[in-house]
Amino acid sequence: MCSNVRWPRKVAQAGLLGLFIIISLTVHAQDDGITADGFKAVPILTGSTAYFTRVTAGQYQDAPSVSPILLLPVGDKWLVEAKGSYSDTFSKNAQGDYHGTISYGMAYGQIDYIANRYMTFVAGRFTTPFNIYGERLAPNWIRALQTGPLTSPVTSGSALGGMMRGGFPGTDSLNVTYALYFSANNTHHLLATDRSTGGRLGFFLPHQRLEVGASFQQVLQADRPHSSGVFLEWQPNRAPLTIRSEYVRSSGTKGSAYWIESVYRLSQISALRRLELVGRGEQFFAASNLSAATIKKLGALGKDTNEGDFGLNYYLRSDVRASASYGRQFVLGRDANLWTIGMTYRFVMPMLPQGGAR
Amino acid sequence: MKIKFLAAFLVASALSLGLMANASSSKDAAKDSAAPVSAQQSALNESMHVEGEKRFHSNCGRCHAAPPKFPPRMMTTIVRHMRVRATITDQDMRLILRYMTE
Repeated sequence: MCSNVRWPRKVAQAGLLGLFIIISLTVHAQDDGITADGFKAVPILTGSTAYFTRVTAGQYQDAPSVSPILLLPVGDKWLVEAKGSYSDTFSKNAQGDYHGTISYGMAYGQIDYIANRYMTFVAGRFTTPFNIYGERLAPNWIRALQTGPLTSPVTSGSALGGMMRGGFPGTDSLNVTYALYFSANNTHHLLATDRSTGGRLGFFLPHQRLEVGASFQQVLQADRPHSSGVFLEWQPNRAPLTIRSEYVRSSGTKGSAYWIESVYRLSQISALRRLELVGRGEQFFAASNLSAATIKKLGALGKDTNEGDFGLNYYLRSDVRASASYGRQFVLGRDANLWTIGMTYRFVMPMLPQGGAR
Repeated sequence: MKIKFLAAFLVASALSLGLMANASSSKDAAKDSAAPVSAQQSALNESMHVEGEKRFHSNCGRCHAAPPKFPPRMMTTIVRHMRVRATITDQDMRLILRYMTE
């Protein structure tokens, strides 16, 4: 009993001490952390809040959430960044009453060191660099559709370890980007990660606004499955259109999936220039030869699934967005309608009073 | 003593005036020679502005709607964060930071 009480206190004390050291370093660094452009980086609190009502196969859910991100620059080469999440999901229980379920976690908590112009080292808990959705498109103020794609559960989404990443211009019209990582096994119920390794290689043509790439992930525990994937993102210069796609295939029990999404901003019609139309089609193929017990254990990953979604996003300001979407999911014996409506707000604020000064 | 002090004051004043005049004349000279350099610099700034705007839209617009321009010190942190998150190259990062802090 006693140790149960003391352990969280020790962790809290260590956390407070760590936070104190980080803030001290950061404040100290403000004196000499002038970048090549002459500006001192300032600590920032950013992130998003959201409120969404979801109706999944007739079941209502209301979910307010907040995802703060803390950015602490140290000198001109270091950055400490951490993202947390907190949400309370209200849904009707068997008696017809609304019941709230709180969930919270830490998406990432990492230290970045910019070693040189081509390489950055990352240590801590970070989002696995696999394709583009997890790292770039997942935040609710960024994602075009609030329902996540079927590819997401196929790979391991978070890692605890080290990563090397960066980008360099191959030619005047080609940027090459890369990320390589390794992760340790962690069984903590909030911060669970697999022992794995992998990476991503991308080619970005800024003039054509086209990016293509491939990813690989090898899990080094249990039945040691590996996953591979490819991705594409294209924004034609002549139209306010974005086309994105990902494909992922796993050698283990998690099957394979792909999605194609198009986002069209109605910027050519002045009255509707803040509105964008979104469409996404996706398919998930369950692994073959799965036993009945494995299918039951895998849940949604145990059955072939087809899904089509259509959505609208309206930007009240660049940081406030109202969204609504409808999707139809086709699963053997259990088709479902997926409705979503809500709002997101992205906030950014300096953590020192002189945030706006040079 | 008073005479020494006065002499020292006069010498110091003469030296200061001389230095100021020299600085002023070198400024004028710099102005004369800076005219073509300034035009060149202005053209370079314009070209970097255009390139920065292009890189901003092609890199940042891939994932999200264009954000507003934040104060320079905030922008420096945000661009550093995005350099890591979206693997933006060092060259693109500098052009974007310059464009966003103009």
